[in-house]
Amino acid sequence: MTSSSATARKALSKIACNRLQKELVEWQVNPPAGFKHKVTDNLQRWVIEVIGAPGTLYANDTYQLQVDFPEHYPMEAPQVIFLHPAPLHPHIYSNGHICLDILYDSWSPAMTVSSVCISILSMLSSSTVKQRPEDNDRYVKNCRNGRSPKETRWWFHDDKV
Amino acid sequence: MQQHSDIRDAEAHKLPFLGDKAPALPFPLSICFVSSLLLPNSSLSLQEPLSALAAEYQSGSPILLQKIKLLSDQYAAIRRTRGDGNCFFRSFMFAYLEHILQTQDRTEVDRVKLNVEECRKTLQSLGYADFTFEDFFALFLEQLDNALQGNDDSISHEELVTRSRDQSVSDYIVMFFRFVTSGEIRKRSAFFEPFILGLTNATVEQFCKSSVEPMGEESDHVHITALSDALGVPIRVVYLDRSSCDTGEVAVNHHDFVPASDGNPAKVAEGTTKPFVTLLYRPGHYDILYPK
Repeated sequence: MTSSSATARKALSKIACNRLQKELVEWQVNPPAGFKHKVTDNLQRWVIEVIGAPGTLYANDTYQLQVDFPEHYPMEAPQVIFLHPAPLHPHIYSNGHICLDILYDSWSPAMTVSSVCISILSMLSSSTVKQRPEDNDRYVKNCRNGRSPKETRWWFHDDKV
Repeated sequence: MQQHSDIRDAEAHKLPFLGDKAPALPFPLSICFVSSLLLPNSSLSLQEPLSALAAEYQSGSPILLQKIKLLSDQYAAIRRTRGDGNCFFRSFMFAYLEHILQTQDRTEVDRVKLNVEECRKTLQSLGYADFTFEDFFALFLEQLDNALQGNDDSISHEELVTRSRDQSVSDYIVMFFRFVTSGEIRKRSAFFEPFILGLTNATVEQFCKSSVEPMGEESDHVHITALSDALGVPIRVVYLDRSSCDTGEVAVNHHDFVPASDGNPAKVAEGTTKPFVTLLYRPGHYDILYPK
């Protein structure tokens, strides 16, 4: 995979632009439950408010997801991170990076911003403990200089949480 | 950083595996071959005589060399595709469009278009939003029309090769096939379930999400069956591996994926006795074969 942080800054291709406009319309008609997208004129970066699902450890907590779209979206995955402060979760690092396979190797153009949001909320909801990943400090230290999570080689070892 | 990637490039040339993705499993499931004629950034090689294949195994297994000799009785040439996990779909794409370009078979184009429309309905009924797949469908239909001559936007064979190497076309067509394959598997999940259980312990839904829809996921007989059925296009796969009969006799096996017509013969392309798409399978990789 090429350097994603560099491609993320490139302007959206025509196909990406069309696709995102359609996704935006679909979102406005049919937003996923528990999410609010503050619509701006920036199609390439969406900031989405997440509200923890009732009956879970994160009930009533509010977090913010930042979704950056690469030039070749949807062939390439969007970069999705939590803005500070990121939820305490065994798969979410304090710098906001999320260890979730569909954001990296298992991304498919068949997915949408909306389906990604639903997966993230489901990951939050199934957590039984509010804590950071074991290797949080080491990982976050390695990510200085604003490295994109898409450059990380992730190991998806746990499908329970 | 530049230095690092140079080293990585140099390493990549040394290894027999050239892919965009690291293998997710600890054992080498994928043995993809790099041809001298397959440029590092190209997803499709020139057509090469079968002797080029033999040259690759010169100091290798005698069984393979014997099999290549047998192959050369029936096949004239090979065209390689990049070993990036999309090789089955990319090989199929090129072989199919090349067939249309060379035969100018409008009946076949009309027939396959009807099946593409069925695939669209399948995805809609499975709950896929139109915007997720429509661009991919449109691009494939455009390639079909362009392969037919006599229009302003008709393409030459050379242009077909160029487009098949152009990621912004080639990858989209690969993804179109992935949508079609996934839709067919989900639509007939009861049929495909036992085959999928034989490969992984995943459900049909999980299999489609993790092994069909993401780019770079390798294809198995499940994918080939589903794509062949959905489009109604028979596919011959010729197997080149080290296996031999108990008697020690060497033969090259092949399998024809013949689509089910569902009682409607018009759904399936002609040539079921001899499929016009022929692929060469070596463990972990598909290339295109050209009959004599």
